[in-house]
Amino acid sequence: MRVALAVLWKDLLTEWRSRDRLVAMAVFALLVVVIFHFALPEGTGRQIASNAPGLIWVAYVFTALIGLNRSFSQELENDALSGLALAPGERGWVFLGKAAANFTMIGTVQAMTAAAFGLVFDLDLGSVALELAAITALGTAGICSVGTLIAAMAVRTRFGEVLMPILLLPTLVPVIVGAVDGTEHLLETARIPFDAVQLLIVVDATYLITSFLCFEYVLDE
Amino acid sequence: MNEISDRDLELSFADKLDRAARPLGWLLAVLAIVYAWTVAMAPIDSIQGPIQKILYVHPPLAYGAYLGFVVTAFGGMMYLWKDQENFDRLAIAGAEVGLLFCTLMMVTGPIWARGTWGHWWSWDPRLTVTLLLWFIYLAYLLLRAFGDAGPRTARFGAVYGIVGVLLIPLNYYVIEIFGSRSMHPENLERGSLGDGMGLPFLLGNLTLGVAFVWLLVRRWQVENLRAIAARWGRPEEDLQ
Repeated sequence: MRVALAVLWKDLLTEWRSRDRLVAMAVFALLVVVIFHFALPEGTGRQIASNAPGLIWVAYVFTALIGLNRSFSQELENDALSGLALAPGERGWVFLGKAAANFTMIGTVQAMTAAAFGLVFDLDLGSVALELAAITALGTAGICSVGTLIAAMAVRTRFGEVLMPILLLPTLVPVIVGAVDGTEHLLETARIPFDAVQLLIVVDATYLITSFLCFEYVLDE
Repeated sequence: MNEISDRDLELSFADKLDRAARPLGWLLAVLAIVYAWTVAMAPIDSIQGPIQKILYVHPPLAYGAYLGFVVTAFGGMMYLWKDQENFDRLAIAGAEVGLLFCTLMMVTGPIWARGTWGHWWSWDPRLTVTLLLWFIYLAYLLLRAFGDAGPRTARFGAVYGIVGVLLIPLNYYVIEIFGSRSMHPENLERGSLGDGMGLPFLLGNLTLGVAFVWLLVRRWQVENLRAIAARWGRPEEDLQ
């Protein structure tokens, strides 16, 4: 557990000093929101409101791809990845620290994206902010668990940046289905839907346990 | 000395696979002729017409596709556990043969769908799950192709194969609960096939089942020979 906390602290501190990943993700997320406006020129009012859960999760997933990829590509410099592999104890704890750091950074950008989305498309997300944060956190936990595992593999292949979304997106379907369904019900009824939350918990637990156990074979010296 | 005995061991395993594949090949040839004959002689469906005969190909292809993906995950898990390259080669063979069956299923399905449902594609749960699996195993093969030749890529492949097979029940559950209504029949119950349709359907399953095993064994053998050639040079002379 101490290894996980150390890796989390290291990643957050590195990011605090450089701020490159957060800035890149934030700018990208804002651009995606702007692109939605042009992609849906008639998309004002009711049309945007009915498509908002899907659109916002598309922005979240694409933004997460950037963050996850960078999470391990920065470890390639000076062969820092080998140093991580030498951490004492199971390598699953390194995974947990990395996934937690990704969760924190992606979550921060998601909060900003949701605020921008609500603002420019005139959606009242503030009244369900806490519930929306809970569903987003559950969805992001799924993205970050399997995403961290896949990023650790993709970064050490040729065309890693291209391979990353090809490997990751098919595995994210259960997360996207649950998260979009949950967000949709929340925006319609202002209540957290039990079915979607239950699904997201099952998917998160499956991905977390699998990734924790498999990371031993992914991280090598 | 050890180098030579390792090579002999690998060659002897490739030879065993070859000896297993030969009778399977003959069996497949005989079955394929009988199967083609029974399909040709099977009655034509009064509502769907000749297009219904895709039934004798499509479900058996689906079983082969799913089986290939299970073989990939099994090979990957065994490789991680036992650290024997042969299991990794089995996983590659499973993924390639599974992907071939899956592709053929994705080709025959829309042709049948167009004839019976009136459109090429529907977001039916089973179709969607299969499409996602097709993408996952395509990604698996890309991961193998873009990685370095060696144990690291084999481990990556094993991990991704395990994640991929986990998605079969997960995606199915998700899409069944949250997705659109299924257009596929729940199952083929006893007596649901018309007179004269049972035998070609049964033979279709048998023939494509044997074809799956034959292709898997041959592909596994090729992967073994490739590894031997990469490590010790071409082995044809030894096999003759």
